Amino acid sequence: MADKVRFIIERQDGPDEKPYNQEFDVDYRPGLNVVAALMEIQKNPVTVDGKRVPPVNWECNCLEKVCGACTMVINGRVQQACCALIDHLKQPIHLQPARTFPVIRDLLVDRSIMFENLKKIQGWVEIDGSWEVTNAPIQNPYTAQLTYKLSQCMTCGCCLEACPNVNYSHLGIEGLREEKSAGAADFMGASPIAQAYLFNLNPIGSFDKPKRLNALMEKGGITSCGNSQNCAAVCPKSLPLLDVLAQVNRDVNVQALKNMFNF
Amino acid sequence: MFHTTFYLRRLHSLCGLLMLGFFILEHMMTNSLAMAGPQIFNMAMGMVEEIPKPVFYGIEIGMYAVPILFHGIYGIYIALQAKNNPRDYGYLRNWNFTLQRWTAWYLVVFLIWHVGYLRIYLKGITGTPMSFELLQNIFQNPVVAILYVIGMWAAIFHFCNGITTFCMTWGITKGPRAQNVINAISMMLCAGLCLLTLAFMASYFVY
Amino acid sequence: MSKKKIAIVGGGISGLLATIKVCELGGEVDLFSYCPVKRSHSLCAQGGINACMDTKGEHDSIYEHFDDTVYGGDFLADQIAVKGMVEAAPKLIKMFDRMGVPFTRTAEGVLDLRNFGGQKHKRTCFAGSTTGQQILYALDEQVRRWEVKGAVHKYEFWEFVKIIKNKEGICRGLVAQSMNTMEVRAFRADTVILATGGPGQVFGRCTASTICNGSAVSAVYQQGAEIANPEFIQIHPTAIPGSDKNRLMSEACRGEGGRVWVYKDGKPWYFLEEMYPAYGNLVPRDVASRAIFKVCVHMGLGINGENRVYLDLSHIDSGYLERKLGGILEMYSEFVGQDPRKVPMEIFPSVHYSMGGIWVDRVHNTNIPGLMASGECDYQYHGANRLGANSLLSAAYSGTVSGPEAMRWAKEGNKGSELTDAEMERARLEVQNEYEKILQMNGSENAHQLHHEMGDLMYEYVAIERDNNGLDKGLEGLRQILKRWDNIGISDHSKVANQEAMFVRQLRNMILYAMAITKSARMRDESRGAHAKIVLENGKRKLDKDGELVFMGRDDEKFMRVTIVNYDPKTEEPIISYRDFDHSLIPPRARNYAVAKKE
Repeated sequence: MADKVRFIIERQDGPDEKPYNQEFDVDYRPGLNVVAALMEIQKNPVTVDGKRVPPVNWECNCLEKVCGACTMVINGRVQQACCALIDHLKQPIHLQPARTFPVIRDLLVDRSIMFENLKKIQGWVEIDGSWEVTNAPIQNPYTAQLTYKLSQCMTCGCCLEACPNVNYSHLGIEGLREEKSAGAADFMGASPIAQAYLFNLNPIGSFDKPKRLNALMEKGGITSCGNSQNCAAVCPKSLPLLDVLAQVNRDVNVQALKNMFNF
Repeated sequence: MFHTTFYLRRLHSLCGLLMLGFFILEHMMTNSLAMAGPQIFNMAMGMVEEIPKPVFYGIEIGMYAVPILFHGIYGIYIALQAKNNPRDYGYLRNWNFTLQRWTAWYLVVFLIWHVGYLRIYLKGITGTPMSFELLQNIFQNPVVAILYVIGMWAAIFHFCNGITTFCMTWGITKGPRAQNVINAISMMLCAGLCLLTLAFMASYFVY
Repeated sequence: MSKKKIAIVGGGISGLLATIKVCELGGEVDLFSYCPVKRSHSLCAQGGINACMDTKGEHDSIYEHFDDTVYGGDFLADQIAVKGMVEAAPKLIKMFDRMGVPFTRTAEGVLDLRNFGGQKHKRTCFAGSTTGQQILYALDEQVRRWEVKGAVHKYEFWEFVKIIKNKEGICRGLVAQSMNTMEVRAFRADTVILATGGPGQVFGRCTASTICNGSAVSAVYQQGAEIANPEFIQIHPTAIPGSDKNRLMSEACRGEGGRVWVYKDGKPWYFLEEMYPAYGNLVPRDVASRAIFKVCVHMGLGINGENRVYLDLSHIDSGYLERKLGGILEMYSEFVGQDPRKVPMEIFPSVHYSMGGIWVDRVHNTNIPGLMASGECDYQYHGANRLGANSLLSAAYSGTVSGPEAMRWAKEGNKGSELTDAEMERARLEVQNEYEKILQMNGSENAHQLHHEMGDLMYEYVAIERDNNGLDKGLEGLRQILKRWDNIGISDHSKVANQEAMFVRQLRNMILYAMAITKSARMRDESRGAHAKIVLENGKRKLDKDGELVFMGRDDEKFMRVTIVNYDPKTEEPIISYRDFDHSLIPPRARNYAVAKKE
């Protein structure tokens, strides 16, 4: 008989339901990862007590660690489930939803706030249109290397989940739940700040740098970063978030002085 | 669009470093004199009394009371928002983040007790002047002495870790290497000041 | 005049670019997607995007790109459409550059180019090894800008279920279901564009995302849309085999100098270089895949006897590799646990891309008025085989064509009558009732298990090497699976995010699409591009005197035609016919990568 891998999964039937644990066994095989194991559970959703239950719900798309969908908390640490190899995990393996965000069901959470924050920081280059205008400016290849790195941020939410200062769990979920007022969040997390920096580095994007910095100075912006630096430690794409946060802190301070003295 | 949160946070950071730093260093210095014995300590206390009252109150209220109250009250608001998670993410900086908030809670209680009893009750209401003997008397109770040592260590850590985070928040140290250097320096300072605290606390039991 | 409303299903590169074009022309867009559009499958494209920039002193020309694409596609692509695409390519690159796509640059700061399979010139613009991700993100950002301006309303986590036609048979709207609240809703639209990507999940394990199930394509196929050339399924030669998915190892590995080999007689045998001296490791994907398949399956030379060969980068400077391929090498280390900078990677071919899809005209209208298709879900541009790095190009280009055409139709088209509220409600109820019926299913089959079996079946009979016996078996097997679908049991009856019930509905669509693939492959008695068929003799695979398999040749006389598949609602079977297309610009010639291409 093949070796079994025990999973303890924190489930929740709806946004306002109570969480509970269920245990599943999955046959071990070399190279098995958490998503593959969850797929096995889908094929035969029976708990260790022999009870047939609804299959576990979670989100995944690419399974190559580029889409960012399958973010969850595995053995207490937030990461992508598709590249969480069983061989590297302590068993039994605990799976939990990323509770910084409102939970929809089981391991499924609502991260739409992250995309809303990208609107706030004006995360785009303001081009005139998709028609032909001119050649884009030549770029310093070293800066381009940094922007490429920053542009790999897949909005997965690891940096927000690990950050002790981000908390969006009270937010409403469209069609399922009203917003709860308790514990209003005061920090957007590292990801949108890195994106603001990315567009400030772009030769055309830099025209709107003051707008982005002013947006970051508003409540919920960069201001409430508490420097725990978990974001950089958990970022699955190893973005240089410490440099980014310090640089953007410097930039907003300069912007604040400009705001004060350049009316 | 006044960026209230931004300016409050920055002010909180500045108050923390400059005013609290001054408060702590001033305490460290005067208390260190205790190691030189009661006479020297009492002489220093006497010199403090020589400062003209309006100037003295000005310093006490403007440089100590207001900044500390602001830092403390706004700090409580900040600390309440954090969901500390060093058990899951046991990195050094995350532990420091958590300790910064735990020490803050201790300091809120400790400072109310310390300022309330020594400055407001004993000195302000009963008019008892500060002296080596008075402190020696208070520290006779070992519980009080231990609570004081913890209180001072908490303040020192909070201040020294604050130097590191100040440098990040103001964009002075950019990048992990500079930040690690500053962190190492401030933690050495922290260790030094903690040892100094033990030394002068001991002197209240020696003399 | 009220604003024109365009419904776009799918938020990959094609859907997003169409969205931008519609917004720029003053229209409003309802954008539907399984997932936040930033997580669409376009981001898995790694190697790059082809465009004749000619900045490497190689005298590359647009004509050369055109010819490579047509030749690579074994002369089954509409040449006028391909010509439009390759001409637009350099302009698209400049637009992406302005949007902020962080393309990899040369030391002097202009876009760098790399080699890619099936092309003798450096023609591929790239952003490290995550070009698709970078282009998708730039478009996502531009669409977000339009969202802030109020021109785009996103319905993310909404599943498209079917289109709504008015009484004249013109598409005027669609029904979609929220994947979180399970609410079914009908939407009005002046034009509907499907940009829903490929059907990779029909094969179970493939390089595609879990959301690439072809369900939407199958849904409109069942409503009367024609499918074209579905038998042409590209098998990517270099993927990391896995139990949950086969992870793509970009063709850029070969483009940057990677060599493919196995041990033969105890010595490394660089079989691609030996078999195809002109192109070597840079032969197109179908050719490389068949060679690897032959070496492993027929010659038994796979690594340790398993179906794997080496893809070797270890002879290349690691700093160079990091700069050019960093992202994917990191992925290999992460999923396999070995460092490809030091040891050769182990790879095997996997289903990757569908050249076929919904039939469209040159401006992406389907045969149903008011319904358009754009991106991988249409059949245009690639013929019988797609060149590497042409997929991002076709996705982007098709969006720039379908968007404006959707607006033209919305303004000038003969759209017939408006949908009445009663018609809308009827369409909605129909979907609602079908869904309720799925929730009631209490048979003994598990939908995911059934999907797995279908994948195995498709790999066995309809993948790299096909023969008519196998295809008959495959088709019969699919009929059985379709029957077993009725006997599925549902264990989830929740009203919140019921993924199981949604999957059951998708699975039925996938089975019907699989039947279209298999039947088309069965009917096409030739080998062309990705479709390689073995000659049968007395009911057995024919071997030549050296014991090698004998493949059918290309039959331009009979089969230089587009396969058209219609759905027969009575029997649920595909009906196959053939249609001529425009191949007037380049006369067909034999496709042989052992020698340099002749024009």
